Amino acid sequence: MDVTGASSDAEVVARVLGGDREAFGLVVRRYEAGLLRFAARMLGSRDAAADAVAESFVRAYRHLASCREPTRLRTWLYRIVANRCKSHLARRPIADVSLDEAPPVADPSDTEVALERAEQLALVRRALVRLSPEKREAFLLKHVEGLSYEEMAAVTGERIPTLKMRVHRAREALLQVLEDHE
Amino acid sequence: MNAIDPRIHQVLDGELAPGALSTELRRSVERLVTAVALLAAPLPLPSLEPRVMALIRRPVPSRARRLLRWLATPRSVTFRVRPVWSLAFAAVVAMLTLVPIGHEGPDIGEHEGIAQFVGRFPGAQSVHVVGSFNDWRPGSIALEDVDQDGLWRATVVLPTGAYEYMFVVDGERWVPDHLAERLVSDEFGRENSIVIVRPARR
Repeated sequence: MDVTGASSDAEVVARVLGGDREAFGLVVRRYEAGLLRFAARMLGSRDAAADAVAESFVRAYRHLASCREPTRLRTWLYRIVANRCKSHLARRPIADVSLDEAPPVADPSDTEVALERAEQLALVRRALVRLSPEKREAFLLKHVEGLSYEEMAAVTGERIPTLKMRVHRAREALLQVLEDHE
Repeated sequence: MNAIDPRIHQVLDGELAPGALSTELRRSVERLVTAVALLAAPLPLPSLEPRVMALIRRPVPSRARRLLRWLATPRSVTFRVRPVWSLAFAAVVAMLTLVPIGHEGPDIGEHEGIAQFVGRFPGAQSVHVVGSFNDWRPGSIALEDVDQDGLWRATVVLPTGAYEYMFVVDGERWVPDHLAERLVSDEFGRENSIVIVRPARR
C-alpha cells in the first residue's frame, strides 16, 4: 500500500467505516511522522510522544464515524494528539518532563558540523520547553507542522488572533534565548 | 521578554519579502528559520503501525466489563495540599492526641487513692459495697456488671487508709471479698475484708 498513494483521506476513511479495518494502517503511515514529531516537541520525551500518538490513533479509529470532514482528517488527528499532549502535561508539570531525551554524545565518527547541529538542537529544545504549552503548541503547529492559522484554529479551538499572538510571543522568547546564547 | 521588530513577524508570516529587511533583522529571521529546520527534522522512531493495528484488532470489551475493570484497577489518588495546611493538620492531630481534653477520671487529692472492688456474683441483680468508708450504709456504692459476665466492679476514690468492707448482693446477702488483701473478724462474728488505700500521687 502506498503511503502517499492515490487514495484520498476521504476514501480511506470511507473504506475503514465500510468495514476495511486494515485500511486504517494507511492513515497511521501517512501521518505518524508529523504527529510523533509534534508530540515529542510538545512533551520533550520520545517515549511519551509514542504513547500519546499510539493512543490517539486508537481513539481516532474508535471514533472515526464522528470525523465530520474526512477531507480534513489530518487536522482532526492533530486535534486529538494535541489534546492528549495537553492532558499529559496537566498531569506532569513541565518541570517534571524529561527535556533531553537524547543528549548529543561525542563520537569519533561525528563530524564537527553534526556535533554543532546537535548542540543547537538541544538549545532550541530547551528554549521550546520553557514556553507555556499553549505557546509551544501554536509555534509548533505553525512553523514545524506547517498548518495555516485556519487549520490551527480547528486543531486548538482558539480564535485566530489569539493564535497569532501566541506564535508572536513564542518567536520572541525563542529568539531571545538564541541571541543570548551567541 | 523583549518584543521583536514587527517586520520579523511579517516576513515569517509571509506578508513581507525578506529582502525588505535590514541585515540585522534578516539574521534574526535566519536564526528562527534555522531553529525551525532543526525541530522539523524527522525523528528516528520506529513505526507505530504494528502497535496501533494490534490494538484496534483487539475486540472492544463490553461497557460492563470496562466498568468492572475500572472498579478493580488500583489507582493512585494524589492530594495536593499546601504545606501550611499540612502543618496545621499535624498540629490539630497532636493537640487531640497529646493534650487531654476534659477529665476522664475523678479529681484525686494529695491524700486520696483509688480503690477497686471486684467480685464474682453470677446471676446477681445488684451488688453494692459497704464498709467503714461509708458507715456501712447499703446502696451508696454500686458495682456494675458491664459485660454481663457475672464479674461486678466499682472504682472509688477514698481518703488514704485501711478500711473494712463487705459486698451486699441483691440487697440482702452480705458477702466478704475473699480476694481482699486481708480478712478480719468483726464483733458480730463475721469476716470483713480489708482494703488499704494508698495515695495515688507520689
